Amino acid sequence: MLSFLRIPSGPAQRGQSAAVFWIVAVTASGMLLMGWLLPWFVEPTSSGIGFSPQDAVLSAPMGPGAFLLYVLAVTMLLLVLSPLAEIAAGITKRPLPLIADRVRLVVAVVGFVLTLVVWFLIRVLNEEPLFGPIDSHTVTDSAVWLTLYGYAIAALVYGARRWVLARGNVAFGAAAIPFGVLLPFMFHQAPDFLLWAASSLAIYMLLALGLNVVVGFAGLLDLGYAAFFAIGAYACASFASPTHHIHLSLWLLIFIGAGVASVFGAILGAPTLRLRGDYLAIVTLGFGEIIPDLATNNVFGLTGGPNGLSSIDQPRYGPVNFGTNPQWFYWSVLAISVIVVIFLRNIERSRVGRAWVALREDEIAAAATGINTTTTKLLAFAMGASVAGVAGAFYGSLVTIVSPDDFSFAVSVAVISMIVLGGIGNIVGVILGSSVLTLSIFWILPHMNEWSMTVSAPGKPLEFLPGLATVNFTQYTYMVYGIALILMMLFRPGGLLPSRARRVELEAGIESESLAAVQGRA
Amino acid sequence: MTEVTAPATGDGKQPATAAPLLELREIAVYYGRVRALNGVSLSVNEGEIVALIGSNGAGKTTTLRTISGLIRPAKGDVRFRGEPIHHLGAERIARMGVAHAPEGRRLFGRMTVRENLEMGAYARHDRGGVRESFDRVYTLFPRLRERHAQLAGSLSGGEQQMVAIGRALMSNPTLLMLDEPSLGLAPILVDAIFEVIREINARGGTILLIEQNAGLALRTASRGYVLETGNLPIAGSSDELLNSPDVQRAYLGM
Repeated sequence: MLSFLRIPSGPAQRGQSAAVFWIVAVTASGMLLMGWLLPWFVEPTSSGIGFSPQDAVLSAPMGPGAFLLYVLAVTMLLLVLSPLAEIAAGITKRPLPLIADRVRLVVAVVGFVLTLVVWFLIRVLNEEPLFGPIDSHTVTDSAVWLTLYGYAIAALVYGARRWVLARGNVAFGAAAIPFGVLLPFMFHQAPDFLLWAASSLAIYMLLALGLNVVVGFAGLLDLGYAAFFAIGAYACASFASPTHHIHLSLWLLIFIGAGVASVFGAILGAPTLRLRGDYLAIVTLGFGEIIPDLATNNVFGLTGGPNGLSSIDQPRYGPVNFGTNPQWFYWSVLAISVIVVIFLRNIERSRVGRAWVALREDEIAAAATGINTTTTKLLAFAMGASVAGVAGAFYGSLVTIVSPDDFSFAVSVAVISMIVLGGIGNIVGVILGSSVLTLSIFWILPHMNEWSMTVSAPGKPLEFLPGLATVNFTQYTYMVYGIALILMMLFRPGGLLPSRARRVELEAGIESESLAAVQGRA
Repeated sequence: MTEVTAPATGDGKQPATAAPLLELREIAVYYGRVRALNGVSLSVNEGEIVALIGSNGAGKTTTLRTISGLIRPAKGDVRFRGEPIHHLGAERIARMGVAHAPEGRRLFGRMTVRENLEMGAYARHDRGGVRESFDRVYTLFPRLRERHAQLAGSLSGGEQQMVAIGRALMSNPTLLMLDEPSLGLAPILVDAIFEVIREINARGGTILLIEQNAGLALRTASRGYVLETGNLPIAGSSDELLNSPDVQRAYLGM
């Protein structure tokens, strides 16, 4: 019955695009739902004025205002429930009539326009007579943004179904990039920590993209990836803080972090050339433990011991101080991520990319076709590490203090979970996986604390569960990883957007023997 | 006769004066402390098919892997066109024109047929030449043209062997080494594969062939070597070997 969730076999492109269609459709529903439920759960903030549609629906005096809100409620419900129609069509194996998409497109457009109208009436014209006392349904504009975004991508996915199915990756970008760029506006009334969370998201996305080069492209399992992140962050902390009285610009630090980390990547790579699979995982795991340990022991007096290095410079460009304008920091990381994605996409399709795939598939055959396995592997390690170095440099200037605890095994696990969840080896999948997990960890879990307190307060829907308020959801980070990975293994064993290689592997297990084993060395 | 250094030119195809294309002298290979090859010497002349036969574990595959640089010999030297190559890495040797279609085919299973063939030309930078090689491989194996977009791992055994040989040919090699091309194939496919091997040779390709199927290998080749547990006791022209009572008893089941 859940077969519609399974990976479609058949031509690679269509498989991925069908998955993109699903992901965008479900995201649209989720955004709409969150946009409507968010104000219900989150207490209004002092400065925030937006609207809370369902409160308004309940409290607005009968009249044109209430009518608008009812129409909005209907559009929201229709679109939120609309993936059910695809599911039904999947089960009965009867294609949806074309008119269904037309109707949904109209509904999405109507909802989008009406949301803007209602928002304008409330926010700009302060129309109390239309919607009742506005104080009772004021929240942040986040709800409006989320709702608008939800309608927009619903319009995209249902209005241009054929295009989405034909050009999955482009459609994914069209849905994701505006969201990424507009995120600071969505949270413009929210406390700065949300923007910091967004920056963390982008930093984790960079980490996931970098690890994907090593694990996904070259097939070398690296469990100590946080070490390179640490090296980048410590490089940043050393060259942009009072510690050594050096104050370099963040844009220089990016290159320094990348350079230093890639050197360490090659240093780790060289002795592990003969290893693969479990053995490589163990050695990299050890490396991941050694680096934070060295930092804790204040090696050469460079790392500041257990307290780490503090007072890292906050980047400042003219009037823009990244410390007090976190959205600029966020946009910087995002811009670098886009550059890295374009770069990696090209690398993947280049000679080096093909050599990595060949190496992953069969080391002996790769060597026999003239690929230099040594330099190819080292290049994968160095390139993956350099991306982590860039992420580390950003991380250092974001948090302004780095200490060994920030780079524990947990970070490596988190990044691996992201790429496994998203789809190892598939750049779009990795972006998706890292976004889903970081959003859950940095945004949904902290909000769960707020929500749980609100909804279990006296007079609220869940008041019969007073214990809910005392649950600290942020302690359940690992449970989220666990649940996400288990669900993924059950329903989409290749990840949310599996790479072609992974799909094939699931259909027919293809094993390969190591070169070292053939040479009698492993 | 444990030492065979002079190439036999039984069929008269080759001028006896030409220096061998490939020459192995007294090669010894160890896996850890286990000796796999013990003083193996053989030679391959330009334009001929040479068969290396022997039972399981005799060291046939090890010999090919030593030539292609996947394994380094402990003693002896490998010369290609008179130059020692045994100290070079596999990728250097491949770029010199020695193509190795390894045992068990070893395709890149999650790449398409076309991508596998492209990987065979990885070391080449002459686009026109690569296109010619594609045409040549597709002419030899029309089936591969039909299946060019299919994943190599999903092909049948015979088709996979075609890809393996095709991939080796894509480097436009001077010497083509085939490790058990008949392994796991139906008899009719084996005939087809050997037909192609003869065709490659007829167009001037030099081939060093490993086979379990000694009769077929010797009938295809002009010369042969018999390998026994790391030693090379018997060498000669194909006819000599086919008529040798020892070979008949041990490898031809007569």
